[in-house]
Amino acid sequence: MPVKVAGPRIYSSIKFAHLAHGANLTHRASNLYINVTPLVDLMTVLVTFLLMVFSASGQILQAAKGLELPVAAQQAELQEAPIVMVTSQGISVIIQDQHSSMPQTKDVATIASLLENPPPTMMIDSLLETLKSSAENIKNAIAPLKQDGKGGKGYTKDQILACQREDDKLPAVIKGGVKIICPDGLAIVQADKLTDARIINMVVNTARQAGFEKLLFAVKYQATK
Amino acid sequence: MGGAVGTGDKKSVNVDLNIVPFIDLMSCLTAFLLVTAVWVTIAQLDIQPKGRNRNPDQMVDETEKIVLSILIQKERIWVGQSRINEFVPIDRVGDGESAWAQLTTTLTDIKASTFFAERSDLELAAESLNDENKVIYQDIVRAMDISKGIGFTDVGLTDRDSLTAKPTL
Repeated sequence: MPVKVAGPRIYSSIKFAHLAHGANLTHRASNLYINVTPLVDLMTVLVTFLLMVFSASGQILQAAKGLELPVAAQQAELQEAPIVMVTSQGISVIIQDQHSSMPQTKDVATIASLLENPPPTMMIDSLLETLKSSAENIKNAIAPLKQDGKGGKGYTKDQILACQREDDKLPAVIKGGVKIICPDGLAIVQADKLTDARIINMVVNTARQAGFEKLLFAVKYQATK
Repeated sequence: MGGAVGTGDKKSVNVDLNIVPFIDLMSCLTAFLLVTAVWVTIAQLDIQPKGRNRNPDQMVDETEKIVLSILIQKERIWVGQSRINEFVPIDRVGDGESAWAQLTTTLTDIKASTFFAERSDLELAAESLNDENKVIYQDIVRAMDISKGIGFTDVGLTDRDSLTAKPTL
């Protein structure tokens, strides 16, 4: 068998006419086109979906070191409100300023200092100050809206209606199986599942004193077996 | 994808769009968002401004009705009813699952009784003394979860000293 020089002539020995055609034998350009349009479409849709998921829950699901939510079987959709985040390291408050699109985070205390020297009044002073100003801002923002009965300033009409019904001591608004709670006096506690109950008691007591009588505990939903 | 600009052919004006960087960007962005997206369902448990707190101005007069109280300790869960002054201790042994099951049973029986058939409120407190006798937040949530599942949707979280019915140890 004669020795032949290796090269594109390898195709000449394989009966694939559509591949061999133009393999330097006919001097025509042979370009293999990959249709990337479906790939681009898929990527665009996937990125859009993930951005929507990320941005919709980003304010509530802020990743924090030392924060793993406890698990519960009761399922009720989480409503937006100021968040008191309790991690294994410290306590911070996340407030959505109506004049800014980005929420503001303020660290108020460390867990170690609170457990080492628990306040005799069971209230965290720095947290109390922050929550008081936030409660006042919310109250001032909602008061004119309650008179008009319309939404605005980041509050929906249903939320304002819930506030009006609360003032009239009527049952809460339930829309789509979800109870709408008036944002006035509403806050979310997002705490790590291993947080000491003493810290939780302090946070709850402080929030109540600041004017947040209604507290929502953020949990991970897990259906019962 | 199209011809090239400036080929010398005056008739064809094709513009090459290099989408390779776009695909690179999309791939990186997709990978980042997949990693950082939290694929969990976040729910809420609401607590009511019930129960007495340390502010004497906000003391609630509970002498007229029987109040159901739950006290969670490291070693034990107490279920008590005011006025009757009856406390049911539930020992927490092992992983604690049997205690939660017993709490569910106890609350179900109480809910079926005459006094609480139409009631949906109860008080809940957790007593964490020190690091060795620590009650964690998950226990509070678990007790709230069980209570709401049975029908006690109006859970008031408070501290031990503010419970209407507390066991004297």
